[in-house]
Amino acid sequence: MTETVAIDRPSRHDLAGILNAAALPLAVVLLGLFFYIKAPVFLTPRNLLSITVQVASLMTIAVPFAILLMAGKVDLSVGSLLGLCGVVAGLSFPVLGVAGAVVFTLLVGLAAGLVNGFLVSWLSMSPIIVTLGGLTLMRGLAQYLSPNPLFGFPESFSYIGYGVLFGVPYLTWIMLAVLVAGFAFMRLSPFGRHAVAIGVNERAAYLVGIRVKLTVMLLYAAVGVAAALAGLMTVARINSAPSGTLGVGMELSVLTAVLLGGVPFTGGRGSLPRVALGVLLLGMLSNGLILMNVPTEASLMLTGLVLIVAAALDVLRSRRS
Amino acid sequence: MDKAWARVSELRKSFGSVEVLKGVDLEFHRGEIHAFVGANGAGKSTFLGCLSGAIHPTSGVIAIGDEEMTALTPRLAIEKGIGIIYQHFQVVEGLTVADNIFLGSEIQRFGVVQRREQERQAHALLERLGVDIDAHQQLDRLSIGERQLVEIARALHIRPVLLVLDEPTAALSDREIEALHRVVQHLAHRENIAIVYVTHLLDEIEAIADKVTVLRDGAVVWTRPAAEVTPAIIAQAIAPSAELEQRRVARELAPAPQLRLEGYRCGYTGPIDLELGKGEVLGLYGLLGSGRTDLVETLAGARRCAGGRLLVEESPVSIRDSRQALDRGIALVASDRNEQSLFPTLSALDNLLMPHFDGVARRLSSQRPLFDRMAAALRLHPNRPDLASRRFSGGNAQKLVMGRWLIPELGIKVLLLDEPTQGVDIGARAEIYRLLGEFAAGGGAVLVASSDPAELVTLCERVLVLGQGRQIELIDRDITADRLVEAAHQSFSASLGSARPAPQPVHSQG
Repeated sequence: MTETVAIDRPSRHDLAGILNAAALPLAVVLLGLFFYIKAPVFLTPRNLLSITVQVASLMTIAVPFAILLMAGKVDLSVGSLLGLCGVVAGLSFPVLGVAGAVVFTLLVGLAAGLVNGFLVSWLSMSPIIVTLGGLTLMRGLAQYLSPNPLFGFPESFSYIGYGVLFGVPYLTWIMLAVLVAGFAFMRLSPFGRHAVAIGVNERAAYLVGIRVKLTVMLLYAAVGVAAALAGLMTVARINSAPSGTLGVGMELSVLTAVLLGGVPFTGGRGSLPRVALGVLLLGMLSNGLILMNVPTEASLMLTGLVLIVAAALDVLRSRRS
Repeated sequence: MDKAWARVSELRKSFGSVEVLKGVDLEFHRGEIHAFVGANGAGKSTFLGCLSGAIHPTSGVIAIGDEEMTALTPRLAIEKGIGIIYQHFQVVEGLTVADNIFLGSEIQRFGVVQRREQERQAHALLERLGVDIDAHQQLDRLSIGERQLVEIARALHIRPVLLVLDEPTAALSDREIEALHRVVQHLAHRENIAIVYVTHLLDEIEAIADKVTVLRDGAVVWTRPAAEVTPAIIAQAIAPSAELEQRRVARELAPAPQLRLEGYRCGYTGPIDLELGKGEVLGLYGLLGSGRTDLVETLAGARRCAGGRLLVEESPVSIRDSRQALDRGIALVASDRNEQSLFPTLSALDNLLMPHFDGVARRLSSQRPLFDRMAAALRLHPNRPDLASRRFSGGNAQKLVMGRWLIPELGIKVLLLDEPTQGVDIGARAEIYRLLGEFAAGGGAVLVASSDPAELVTLCERVLVLGQGRQIELIDRDITADRLVEAAHQSFSASLGSARPAPQPVHSQG
């Protein structure tokens, strides 16, 4: 009930606002230029397409993950779920055939997401703790199901990993489809607004008739399905399913990309186009560092640094408002 | 009393291109209760911010004693003896009273907190205030009014010379207000502290203030001795055009009630028997803890119903969550807007149309015309769909969260309101009364829970008085503030006896 001063102009019109809004696109352009100067091969169509293939899994998870984070909830189990789903797919090809295995894998992702969502929304458990448990549990389960790396999948499946349509890889098409679905969800369906409203004020969202628990559970389910899809995409691309390493650290990459994209960790705000830019920036970074022959340890440290910078930007943004 | 302890002159503050304080000159004297009134957006909060050091003025002078400064910092304000009690409590629920009073300035010896010493001093402090609160108690066991007093005790701990209270009575019952007034008067007149008392309640000024300052549009309208002015004069100065006396629209009550409660129980409240007619504005009055909020929130599905029957248009319904309530056409405008209703960072359009975002696809093209239509009906100011709702004044934010349910397409037939004008200035208050009147005139049923008897007298045909969760009396003619207060207090004093009298069932005539 504190009075607030009605400020005449919205903040996006002032200089700091413009700088803030332009920072991410600018960073993408500058990083691109930097890599181009250091390694001209960076800006070839071939390399750009390969970047999109490399970030396809990341983007697929990041889209629903970002919407979940806008609702103020987080899912740290996505990396392990990706690994588990990859292993499940690999094991079920001989039994169910390609189509059956794909559907079954997506159902496993859905089930895991629903369980996370149920624990968080109906039992009011802490999202971090629930999904941290899931992170360990599902990694263990993946390794139990398949102690040794699986490889040698049906050709019709691994074709998804390298096949091309109109000059663009299948994986890129899938990623774009997920992005478009995410945009449509946020812009056209009421649930997009509902997700943000829950992130801003859960009690108020409940009182205006939003089905808060159901919405949160469905968002977790969407993240689960996306992780399963990303698992399938990754397995198709690398043509193997190593239970010990598949998807390890993915939760942190996704979180980094989404925070870079301007969704605050506490939720209530965010835009998917910017999240897509965040994913792209991360993909460019790892691709460019490889082209520049930067050792893995150094690029790992850089990625960690980017997460901290993203979080710092988040703090700065919320200070301003 | 001749020489002012603190003085501000030509104080100005701009945010961007908007000047919020336009040259404020004021003096504060020790031993004086200085009431500070103004509509939302008049610049009160900004001015208090300058006093507390949270906001740096653009220009002007703040003088304390002989020392002139251009700005304070929070630390400097405390050093100079300025204590502030904010509207939103800063106390921590999980701690004891004593821990709260010494929070951040613990008495330590060799790095160990001296809890016994703190409790002793806290006890002394509370005794000095003349209040009976146990310093050992956990804060969550205290009533809102008692917490307010703990907050004051905490502020006193820095030995302030000037104590600012920002709408301290907003959430208090009459009894608690009386206790607070005694404490404030004691501080000013016995302990020679300068008090700045911000309030929306004009009656309070008559009761305790020595001097009144009215702020409007960032400038002082006048400062006068309280004895010279009446609430009408003050109201005129706050908002010259505001018509507080809302003329009641003549309405005909339909014979069949919209809502009927039979032995309805919720939490510790009930059984309640009540009929709410179509086109009726019915009031719920009671002190804090009387069950007002229990009842309206349960009807809206925000709490569990404990028993009894609820009939909507004479057919029994069970409501288990807010969604089901809305499906039956029952909507709630909850108390404490910021906690329960507003999406502060979302736009005015999102806030107003949130319940409208339903179904499979949003009707994007119809949003803007709908917003414009509703904003015009609500007289929203500023009329800006894109502006974040936290940028609106209290009154206009309240219009947004209430306006949600006035969208005809939602088919809301029963509007439940809990403290609908809390933190709302006089001008916007009249607008809200007008909107409620129009809603009822259109055949809607309105149930208003309020701790402000004057509000219910203005709005309602009938008022149900609650006390200690029981229905005390249904007043359906000659409603006056005195009668409401009397009825509510009767219940209170009656309940203090160990033998609680059996509640008299009150049946309405519909």
